[in-house]
Amino acid sequence: MSSNGSVTLLQLGSVVQADKPQVHLLPCEIEQDGPAEVSRYFTSAVKDRKHEMSVSFRGRGLKGQEVSCPQAYTGLVLKEDHKPTTDQEDRTVRVSSVFHHFTYWNLETQPTSDDAVVMAMAWPELAEAIHGSVDDR
Amino acid sequence: MLVNSLSEPGAWPVETCFNAHATKLKVEVECVCPRANSNTSDWKPSWSGQRTMDLGDFEADNSVSCRLASAIPEVCRSEDCCLGIDEAGRGPVLGPMVYGISFCPISRKDDLKNMKVADSKTLSEVERETLFQKLDEAKSFVGWALQILSPNTISTSMLQRAKYNLNALSHDAAIGLVQYTLDCGVQLKEVFVDTVGPAEKYQEKLSKRFPGVEVTVRPKADSLFPIVSAASICAKVARDHVVKSWGFVEDLGEVDTDYGSGYPNDPKTKSWLQKSLDPVFGYPQFVRFSWSTAKTLLDTRAVPVRWDDDEEDGEKAAARMHCSSMLSYFSREKPGGSVRETHRFFSERRLQSLDSL
Repeated sequence: MSSNGSVTLLQLGSVVQADKPQVHLLPCEIEQDGPAEVSRYFTSAVKDRKHEMSVSFRGRGLKGQEVSCPQAYTGLVLKEDHKPTTDQEDRTVRVSSVFHHFTYWNLETQPTSDDAVVMAMAWPELAEAIHGSVDDR
Repeated sequence: MLVNSLSEPGAWPVETCFNAHATKLKVEVECVCPRANSNTSDWKPSWSGQRTMDLGDFEADNSVSCRLASAIPEVCRSEDCCLGIDEAGRGPVLGPMVYGISFCPISRKDDLKNMKVADSKTLSEVERETLFQKLDEAKSFVGWALQILSPNTISTSMLQRAKYNLNALSHDAAIGLVQYTLDCGVQLKEVFVDTVGPAEKYQEKLSKRFPGVEVTVRPKADSLFPIVSAASICAKVARDHVVKSWGFVEDLGEVDTDYGSGYPNDPKTKSWLQKSLDPVFGYPQFVRFSWSTAKTLLDTRAVPVRWDDDEEDGEKAAARMHCSSMLSYFSREKPGGSVRETHRFFSERRLQSLDSL
């Protein structure tokens, strides 16, 4: 429920048809919302030497690492096929992709366990410890 | 499809500002491969002319910087030697820049002269090939080595956070090659360098770096000193081979290889750059993204990409970073209620609670 009262509906049934692509999180904003030749230009150029992944994007060096989603969590890529015309209308989104792990890329620096995205993955477990019911333990 | 997850601000803020520390990317020497014999069997006679130079080690991974070298002639370890340095492919927007050195005993300078080596730019491609073969046949007293700086190395170095410019990159390549011959036990006494930049400063830099070696940096050295001509031939032959049979690391399928010389003013290169542009990725690694020719095309025809270290004006940057510049104080609306600041735990992890998509 958003602040203006409209409801966003998630079509759960679409999970079945969702594809399971490799997902990459880049350290930049790309002003593009649509298809891209990821395997043609990007994944094909990834070098994996002694578990150190490197590639370049637009001439800038990236170093990457695979991260798993927190346990019992699934990553979803949502797609809104019909954008509402007013902000009062309800919205419907479907699951276009699901993922359980993804690769995040740092600009030039080696990924470490101190990177924000790695640390963020610990939140669900911590949240459970803080907010979970005591009887569970 | 994938770019949704690449760029759409979803569960993870994609406008990531990973405050990575600036680290100077060293030109990695990925392979040092002195060839005892250059008549190895794995060369590919894929184009006109015989291929004496084995570039296999670079071609195995053409995204990094690679050193190739001949065997060190035994006589160079016992006799005083001279060494020439030259580069090939500094200007092109496509392909690698190659640094070449060649060296021989000072007493054999005339033998080299008699081989009629000359500035590689005054020679035809066939002549260069023939001369390289002659140099190869003279391996009892002439040695050579190359540092191939891949276009990807050039792009990522020149565009890195702590900018590493082309001059520094070439100087380091040259210094690395001279050091390599010293490490191999070559009795270096004289070094001759061709340069496009200011000669004096460069000469001073090299003299300081290599005490005991007499360094001469001179524009057009490649036409003045046969040992520099020899170096320029080695470098140019390597650059030509690599560009002609560039192995695209990308999965491009049928790729248009009619890209010409790679010089920005070559009509073939120009039209290839026009045709090959991908709106998201721009170009394969064959292209030097740091060249203004490529930059201009990307700026006008590809989708904008923003990095956290992009230079932008202070206010815009501040707005993006969700903190305000002093100027914005005057235009700001008075905040209604008090907004609770999120705990450092969440801001450090770039976690936000969402109430709508």
